[in-house]
Formats: sequence, structure tokens, C-alpha cells
Amino acid sequence: MTFNATLEIIDNIAQISLSGELDASTALIFQEKIGAAAAQDINTLILMMKELEYLSSAGLRMLIFTKQKMGPGVAIYVVSPQEMVMDTLEKTGFHHSVNVIDEYDAAKIASALS
Amino acid sequence: METLIVPGTLDSLGAIGQYVTRATSAAGLDKKAAYKLRLAVDEIATNIITHGYQEAGLEGKLYLYAAIDESILTIFLEDTGIIYNPKQQILPQKEELQKVLDERSMGGLGIYLALGGVDEFHYERVGNRNRNIFVMHRIMV
Repeated sequence: MTFNATLEIIDNIAQISLSGELDASTALIFQEKIGAAAAQDINTLILMMKELEYLSSAGLRMLIFTKQKMGPGVAIYVVSPQEMVMDTLEKTGFHHSVNVIDEYDAAKIASALS
Repeated sequence: METLIVPGTLDSLGAIGQYVTRATSAAGLDKKAAYKLRLAVDEIATNIITHGYQEAGLEGKLYLYAAIDESILTIFLEDTGIIYNPKQQILPQKEELQKVLDERSMGGLGIYLALGGVDEFHYERVGNRNRNIFVMHRIMV
């Protein structure tokens, strides 16, 4: 399955919806979206992962790149990762740095950030 | 299964993933084991393409072969790039994996996932080829 990423920015929140398979051959698509989000004044990055079926270390490196580019002030939320994607996030310790949530509730996140 | 031969470029990762998926289906591996094996082969193939071919200024192919017997599924991945033994690479240690992303280095995660996701991994140099061998145990019901 091919990889697709779409970016939507509302106020200071960037939301990237990921679907398909994120590997080294498709990571640049993700990087482009992250770059576009980082160029804006955002404080939150929401990664919608429900439709992301596969994640390799190339995608993980993009997450590191994201966090280091955006700085410690930007909170990252991972929404509804599939079981094996979550397994990869846990094995590599990424779950310590991102907030993994089941559903994206804009009001709750705004409240958590305030 | 018959051998898959693809160019040593990142565009081949999709075909490699499909080949491994067909092999795991034929061997009856469960979903988790199938994912881990696909990930392991993908990660090592990515390193071969990136370090063994591209960064070395070389071009070449990747050769995949799956063998299934009563107890194991074995994937053989070969290339003609520079000598590259994944087992000799430096893996991220526990302290590194517990760091926040702001302080993380980028390297080593792929091989860490690959070697930790399969039941056995072996490397050998055969002539001018690197041979990476991935083994998964079949759980027979």
C-alpha cells in the first residue's frame, strides 16, 4: 500500500494524517509535511496514525527530526497507532517523548496545554 | 519460493516487502511475526542500499530468497556492495533509548529493530556478496 500524508494547520495546531506504509522510500513525503508545519508558528503536532499500517526506522528518524526542528516547546501527539506501529514506538522508547492517545479531542488537548 | 532480484535502490523496498509478506503467508506466520520479519528485512535492505551501495558510489542488485521447512522460515538477502555486517554496527543502548527525542541521535535504530525482531540473524561474506540470513520459527498447530 502506498504512503500518503496530509497536513492541516488550525491556529497553533498542525495535524498530519498518515496512511499506508512509511519506509525509507516514502519518508521524504512525511519530511515535506513536517517541514511545512515547522515553518508555521505551532505549539502542537498531531499525528493521526490510525491508517498507518507500517512504520520503519526511517519514519522514526523523521519523528526525531521533527522534535529537534520544532524544539522542546512543541508537544507531539500520536493518535490511534495500530498495534505493531505502537510496538515499534515502545521498543525504541519513543512513547516516552510523544503523547499516545486513542482519540483526538481538540478541546482536551487545548486544556492540557493551558 | 523463487528468487526476487531487484535494483539496489529505495524504490525496491515495496517489492521486497511484498515478497517477505508472501513468504510469511506461505509459512503461516502470525501477524506479529510476519510484521517483525518484514520490518527486519526492510531495515537491513535499507542499510545495504544506503551504505553498501549509494554512499559507496556503487550500483548493484538485491537478491532475496525464501526457504520454508517444517520448523522455520528463512529469508536470505544478498548484495554485492561493500562489506557490511549488521552485527558489527553500534546499536543504541538502553540509556539512549530512554532519552527524549530532543536529545536523540538518528543512527542505529534500524539495525536495532531488525536484530531484535527475528528469532535468529546471521551474516556471512560469500565471495563478493554479503549474505544476511533471517530466521523465524514456525509455530505449528
